[in-house]
Amino acid sequence: MQPPDDARLTQPQPVQPLPSMAAPAMRLPAKTRQSLPADSHPLAAAAPQQQQEPQPPSSTSSSPTPSSPATSLPLRDRRSTPNAALFRSTLTPPHSRSASPAGSLPRSPARTSTSSTNMSASVMMAGSVFAGTGGVKQSLLDTDAADTPGDPLNLLLRAFVPHVGIHASADVDALVADKGFRGGLWEVLRPFGERVMGKVTVRDSNGGAKTWEDFAVRFVRFGVGVEEPNAGSGGDGEAGEVGRVEGVVERHLRFAEEAYGGGGAGLGSPVMTPVREGVDTDATSPYYALYLRRLLSGVPLACHESFAHPVACVMAISSRNPAPIEALQKLYRETSQGERGLPPWVDGDFLRYYVLVHDEENGDITKSMALFDQMKRNFGLHCHLLRLRSSQSAETDDDSIPLPRSDWMTAAEELADIEESDTREDFEDPTRYIFESDATAIRTFVREMVTQSLVPTMERNISVWNDQVASRRRGISGRFMSLSKRWAFGSSSRSSTAGGSSSSSNYDALGFYRADSPEAIMRRLADFAFMLRDWKLAMSTYDLLRGDFQNDKAWKYHASANEMAALALLIMPQNMSSKTRIETINQMLEQAFYSYHIRCNSLYGAVRCTVLALELLRLRGGSGIDEAVRWGIRVLESKLMGTIGDALLKERMAICYASKRGAGSQAWGSRRRKSALWSVLSAEAWIAQAKHVQAQKCLHDARRMYALLPGECGVQNFAVASDFLAHLNDQLKEGLGLDVAQGEEHDGSGHDVAEVDEESETLGTKRSRRTSLIGPAGSGAGLETAPLNDTKPARGREAEGAASVDDGFG
Amino acid sequence: MSYYFAIIGTQDNPLFEYEFGTSKQGGDGQPRFAEQARHLNQFVLHSSLDIVEEVQWTNGQLYLKVIDKFFTNYISCFMTAGNVKFLLLHQPTATAGGGGGGAAAASTRNSTSVGANPTSPQTEEAIKNFFNEVYENYVKAIMSPFYKVNMEIRSPVFRQRVTAAGRKYL
Repeated sequence: MQPPDDARLTQPQPVQPLPSMAAPAMRLPAKTRQSLPADSHPLAAAAPQQQQEPQPPSSTSSSPTPSSPATSLPLRDRRSTPNAALFRSTLTPPHSRSASPAGSLPRSPARTSTSSTNMSASVMMAGSVFAGTGGVKQSLLDTDAADTPGDPLNLLLRAFVPHVGIHASADVDALVADKGFRGGLWEVLRPFGERVMGKVTVRDSNGGAKTWEDFAVRFVRFGVGVEEPNAGSGGDGEAGEVGRVEGVVERHLRFAEEAYGGGGAGLGSPVMTPVREGVDTDATSPYYALYLRRLLSGVPLACHESFAHPVACVMAISSRNPAPIEALQKLYRETSQGERGLPPWVDGDFLRYYVLVHDEENGDITKSMALFDQMKRNFGLHCHLLRLRSSQSAETDDDSIPLPRSDWMTAAEELADIEESDTREDFEDPTRYIFESDATAIRTFVREMVTQSLVPTMERNISVWNDQVASRRRGISGRFMSLSKRWAFGSSSRSSTAGGSSSSSNYDALGFYRADSPEAIMRRLADFAFMLRDWKLAMSTYDLLRGDFQNDKAWKYHASANEMAALALLIMPQNMSSKTRIETINQMLEQAFYSYHIRCNSLYGAVRCTVLALELLRLRGGSGIDEAVRWGIRVLESKLMGTIGDALLKERMAICYASKRGAGSQAWGSRRRKSALWSVLSAEAWIAQAKHVQAQKCLHDARRMYALLPGECGVQNFAVASDFLAHLNDQLKEGLGLDVAQGEEHDGSGHDVAEVDEESETLGTKRSRRTSLIGPAGSGAGLETAPLNDTKPARGREAEGAASVDDGFG
Repeated sequence: MSYYFAIIGTQDNPLFEYEFGTSKQGGDGQPRFAEQARHLNQFVLHSSLDIVEEVQWTNGQLYLKVIDKFFTNYISCFMTAGNVKFLLLHQPTATAGGGGGGAAAASTRNSTSVGANPTSPQTEEAIKNFFNEVYENYVKAIMSPFYKVNMEIRSPVFRQRVTAAGRKYL
């Protein structure tokens, strides 16, 4: 740990007083949603953590073996190269990885703290047998998983967040370019949207207020990534998306592989071995988390779901602009019509948020203030004065902080970055720095926009749509209406309705619902409710829509509504009996999967739907775990993913089974053998792709699981199977470049070789067998993937993280 | 249809293993497992012991029917006294595509025949008969004064009888 970091950690910079004089003026007097912690100094402590992460591995693993081939020329130590920053997200162990500015968050007050007790065996035993029809009864948000960064549930919550388009005038982009950001204002704002500072209070449809600590918005470039409704029925764009995700993960894996190849001394330094007991069911493999994150960050701006539709649009001009009001009007026109305008299935009536970027160094503040007052008069309250310095911040500056790379960049972006780093020798560290004061200003801006404009607008929309559109459908007359609509044309076939009046179906020949049709509005209502975490409203609305879309044969809409209904139902607290529930959920998933996969040929949708459902089912526990694996097998059978995805999924199934707990001393009802089987399968898949580091991890998991069995003997009595295991082991050794003969002289590896021989022996000496099974977990697991660095510093960092727990990126 | 039959002792140790194919529908009684996936049978069988341990408490019968499915492999189970289990892995005739297409084709071809549909009542009945016959022979085999618990069954007579039962019922 470098002294500068320590210094910064122990003496955090005092928070800058809100620099903007405009801030008080803009605060709405009536609504005081702010509960801003007074002493928050976000990023000040969180950021240095990230900064230091790439460094420990190179210092710990290469120093003990100066004579190792690592130092030879062809394999340069890649970890010290600047592009290590690109792979940061998978280099660090999950718990210390704060690449997400969210870091480790304190639990939201909205959550009860009864989670751990509810998982106890009594609940699992609630059913007739261990099959445990029981499981987690409360809302999944109350479990720990929702808080763990990297956990699929947490990823899900942070994936389906309001999208905010950014549309800036050329002078703003020029100003930001002076600061060193070529991507424009969007590039600067993006990381700040991933965690809105402080608490955000959201009212649900019943008026109950809930407070969330980890609210986020996604800043996107306005009007980018539009997907045509009938684009070859999910042709290139989507199929490519899954492929790109695979590509990114593959690069990360290769990087890890090469890093170890360069280090070479993996087995020599047992210090690097993390101490773990059993398969760690809570930690998500960084690669799997990455896979999910890239998959979810690619939500296209499509017609069948409105998650990626802009909820708001930030329109920014700068103080450099000679004709500011006209420029804003021009921006407004561009967002509502013209070629930058959105397709007819996107609601054009989103919130417009006007931002004046004041150049702190060259601009005249009094002029800007006057302009800002004028803006407020013209455009109302949704305005903000953002004061930024226009010069570039360097790492050496006193008050500079690194701007983290966005967690939610799309696969295509990341792939482009990595490729650039490969092809160009002079690739410089992509980390950018900004001034502390700028960061504070942006955080304040984001918070104000979200709490005072965005969330209230969404709440208002929800209540209006709910009253005007959805509740009419929910009532008895609404049902009757939809029935009469369906049968209005007597028994004549559907073709007559298509030719008949357009009122019978809003799903017109274009293949989408226009933004003002009731179906589209209800879909937006449901999506808004989902984004604000009002699961009940979301679920009931999706449920209504499912039927409508099916009647209209709008299959992609149908698939998506089913998918989201199932997800909302899974997250909601359980109240019906879990058997009916699982059946309902299965039915929804079945329809979603069929519609996505067979009817629409949408690979992306099918993968997203099943993988998310799998994760939530896993968290539900009990029989949900068996269901989860069943869905996993469905994905594997349908060959939806590439080789990387398959291997990751197999690994995940092992974890699924491992997280099923048994009852009693015999652990009846647990799935250890199953878990081990999947670990072996994933090891096989990784070896086939020459990803030996991952393979070794899987093989260790399998061994550990087999050692936990009552007989402690695993499959060693099965001749062919244990031969296969030994064979895998040999391949692994070969792949890791370990000479077995050489290893025998060496202490630690000699142990490993003996262990392979024992594998095929019949059960004789059980005690010694046990030690040999567990032993290598200590000595051989040096190549464990996740933590490249010492666990010691990681622990330390974790402690620091706990100390400065509220320092998330605001 | 290919079968892999194993008797599993109390320590997850196989006491007896036998691979065979169907003799019905003009089958030659030879297993048709993919050569490179032979090890998988053992892994799958072993892993389904998890399910056996769970299902054995729900059911009063000794014959537990199909308890587990792994891709196209189905596992039937028969409990015997002393926590020794008979497990039969049956795999419908290898269809290159696997999954739905194969099952559909098979069901049109011979929906009544044993083995085409692993969960049909006919198949269940046939497997039950097979298990019962093997069980009788197993009891006789372990009556041998030289046999101890969890010892591998090496008797060639027993193997012959299992072969005969397989030919007769499956």
